[in-house]
Amino acid sequence: MMRRTAYTVIGVLILCVMLFPVYWMLNASLQPSGNTLTAGFLPLHPTFSGYRRALDEQGGNLVTSMIIAAGTVVLSLAIATPCAYALSQFRSRWVSVGLLAILISQMIPGIVIANALYTAYERIGLLNSIPGLIVANCSSGIPFAILILRSFMLSLPPSLVEAARVDGAGLFRAFVSIVLPISKNSLITAGLFSFLFSWSDFLFALTLTTKGGVRPVTLGIYQYLGTQVQNWNAVMATAVLSAVPAIVLLIAAQKYIAAGAIGGAVK
Amino acid sequence: MVTLTRTTVAGRAKSRGRRHRGETLTKVLFVLPAAVAMVALFGYPVVKNLLMSLQDYGLKTFFTGVAPWVGLQNYSTVVTDKLFSDAMVNTALFTIGSISFQFAIGLGLALFFHKKFPLSGLLRSLLLLPWLLPLIVSSATWRSILEQDSGILNRSLMGLHLINDPVPWLNSPSVALIAVIGVNIWIGIPFNVTLLYSGLAEIPDELYEAGQLDGATGWRAFFYITWPNLRSVASVVLMLGVVYTIKVLDIILGLTGGGPANATQTLATQSYEKSFIDFKFGQGAALSNILIALSFLFAIFYLRGTRRAVDE
Amino acid sequence: MISKRIAAALAGATTVSLLLVACGDNGGGQSSTSGDSVKSLTILDYYNNDPDKSLVQKGLDSCASKLGITIQRETVPGDTLIQKVLQQASSKTLPDVLMLDNPDVQQIAATGALAPLNDMGLNSDGVIQGMVDATSYEGKLYGLAPVTNTIALFYNKDMLAEAGVQPPKTWDELKAAAKKLTKPGRYGIAFNANATYEGSWQFLPAMWTNGGDETDLTSPQVAEALQLWVDLVKSGSASKSVINWTQGDAKDQFAAGKAAMMVNGPWQIPALEKTPNVKWDVVTFPLNKPDQTPVAPLGGEAWTVPLNKDQAKQQKAADFVKCLNSDENELAWAKARFTLPTKTALLDQYAKEVPSMKAFAEQVKTARARTGKLGDKWPDAAKVIYQAIQLALTGKASPQDAFKQASGG
Repeated sequence: MMRRTAYTVIGVLILCVMLFPVYWMLNASLQPSGNTLTAGFLPLHPTFSGYRRALDEQGGNLVTSMIIAAGTVVLSLAIATPCAYALSQFRSRWVSVGLLAILISQMIPGIVIANALYTAYERIGLLNSIPGLIVANCSSGIPFAILILRSFMLSLPPSLVEAARVDGAGLFRAFVSIVLPISKNSLITAGLFSFLFSWSDFLFALTLTTKGGVRPVTLGIYQYLGTQVQNWNAVMATAVLSAVPAIVLLIAAQKYIAAGAIGGAVK
Repeated sequence: MVTLTRTTVAGRAKSRGRRHRGETLTKVLFVLPAAVAMVALFGYPVVKNLLMSLQDYGLKTFFTGVAPWVGLQNYSTVVTDKLFSDAMVNTALFTIGSISFQFAIGLGLALFFHKKFPLSGLLRSLLLLPWLLPLIVSSATWRSILEQDSGILNRSLMGLHLINDPVPWLNSPSVALIAVIGVNIWIGIPFNVTLLYSGLAEIPDELYEAGQLDGATGWRAFFYITWPNLRSVASVVLMLGVVYTIKVLDIILGLTGGGPANATQTLATQSYEKSFIDFKFGQGAALSNILIALSFLFAIFYLRGTRRAVDE
Repeated sequence: MISKRIAAALAGATTVSLLLVACGDNGGGQSSTSGDSVKSLTILDYYNNDPDKSLVQKGLDSCASKLGITIQRETVPGDTLIQKVLQQASSKTLPDVLMLDNPDVQQIAATGALAPLNDMGLNSDGVIQGMVDATSYEGKLYGLAPVTNTIALFYNKDMLAEAGVQPPKTWDELKAAAKKLTKPGRYGIAFNANATYEGSWQFLPAMWTNGGDETDLTSPQVAEALQLWVDLVKSGSASKSVINWTQGDAKDQFAAGKAAMMVNGPWQIPALEKTPNVKWDVVTFPLNKPDQTPVAPLGGEAWTVPLNKDQAKQQKAADFVKCLNSDENELAWAKARFTLPTKTALLDQYAKEVPSMKAFAEQVKTARARTGKLGDKWPDAAKVIYQAIQLALTGKASPQDAFKQASGG
């Protein structure tokens, strides 16, 4: 028991080291002065003016980010799940082609994708729109979700679906009524990561919007960084606020992160 | 994804497939949305980028729509640029440095958290945080930490009398690359821990119990039980790591912008600079194609290598 | 982190702002008869943060009401403006009125995207030559800047008095003063020498004042100017971090009492006023030899009119730009946020009314535009300059060799 407590203590220490920059962000957000030049280790005179300002000016952007991230989760899962099932259960030479395509997709710099999407969006009128950003963010969500879901579905015995088929269910109905419920955990894991990828996207937010209307919070922070050096605490307060969803999700979903689904994704 | 190497096109599907021949269409429909998405989100950009790299695509193109074909001229221009070889070396150092430490530290932490103790799950989840923070935020924070005169890192190190003079983390061409690699390691550790931990979790406990009877504990257990069973996951972690690291852009731009004196220029930052600072989009595209090609070559060799290892 | 275009933003020293003034008008607003059918104009600029954003809005609104139109304004972050302009150009959706940082005007004009203003009843009479150079391309005027700015030497009065140092007039005095003012936890001087156009811009007062020229960067005059930067850093009078600092960082150091002097522009004054315990004043940038004239670079943004198929709209946009550049507006905008009017005749009157701007008003009269000599080739030279500075300050090359190396020699 002693030993396990000692492990916990060591674990906490490791976490302290790893998360120090996150703490530093929090510290800076509470500092009264306009810059971090003289910041001490502790915010001895904490002020929430940075947060007030951040909520005032970035509150709407946080909501925009939330909507885009949620949309990305739904669309990514809707597209990735059937494909993952196919790649895990169907026997075809196309399976390896599909997997190779996913691997190659991970090699393409985001900026190449952003450049191309810009021209395409311009033609079909998706610039400055939430759907446009959702589709763009699916470029990180879909491949990742396919890999995670496929790895789980590989472990499904074909007999499961076969049984339903014998009862006369079509392939699609069997998929919806049997495969989806069983895959709940890995769907949550895949959704979680799609959400976080989309939440932290900056490149698409920057390149695929040309006017103020749709502005995710990462872009809001970026604008602060460029022009509000004297309001460092507001910049950092926005950063802390933008980290909150990540933290909440990580704590709420720790069971699903631990489920092993991610590691399995790469097998 | 190791399956790539050993996917066997199963023949046994034949007998079953005959039963539902009419369902080929349904099966296609399962894959179709994803296939369309992949083509639109990845295929189209790659083709467009290839075309752009063969054109004189500059500032004027945006206004006039004219981009003359120039063949491979963009490629020869960027390859003969005086910064190209520096950028190649830096890209290699950055990738190798980042990956080796991320992997080693990640493996150490994964082994540590694999020992079940109170709160281990919570702590491990929170460890993911650096990976998930918006990169602009991370790099701005790190910049203030690494500041030479008043950054908290130098202040602490000097307070502890570990150093006498402040370290010019981001200000010296000889140190900046190391600092940038350090920050990238910090960002990459969670990814490595998570994947490796999942790999560890799948090694059945019985193996260790059996090993214990044979006297395989501690380091011996690691070498004879853990490592062989972890190898396939580890190889994929390494490959994805390289693929992701070689194209890192935001962190470097945020920390040093490629400086000081170009000491942290990589292929990715060069490509960005050609496109968005010099407005030579053709050359920028050529550089990113070189980047993709390198990444692809690496993956091919790597996959062949691991397949050979598995076959043996 | 897209960008060294941030340079464009910061070097241009964004913060013009236009406090206005709905009624102080009698100048430039008269629309020249054209198209009363035009009811609205679209505008793109990079004053995307308050207070600038709303101050500019007031200025724009006043001209809009004078012309009897409504405006739809779009603001983007400074360093993304050019990207937006490119995107809009390729989709033929450029705004009716476009703000550009002055060194970008020629480059955009060279693409044929802008309408020459001379043809639409505008001229640059009375505007300081430097700004006319910046906003003209191949003999035609493409933009007008109501206000401008430049950089000079700020100093902390208390610190200099305490050390018994006079504000430096020559480089030798500058080096001696900086050294004397340096003590633990404080540097004598802060400036910005980062690897962006902003770093080049801060180097120009030294380079130009010493007779250096961007058409021959390997001249000894340019090397001497670089030697000044090297001396300041090598002697420990300036932080080694200057190679990563922005002008905002330099201001932060100065405001926190960690630097006794700084090279910076008047747009930092509002921020400095937030730290009233720091008493400061400004002098023109020191000279290498006493017989030299200080030559600083001109900052500030110009308003341009993109080509428009709708002639009436294009004319209305030109009228709008004319209104923005009326004498009254120039003065009001300059006062609102510590920028300078661009017409020579207004400068003296302005310096009397706003004493803290006296040194800047001096500098501006003789100031040069970055694109004055090289035109749209300026960015190439600017890149060589900042790379050479980086090479020299990091000890990778001597000031003499740095420019040769940076220009690929």
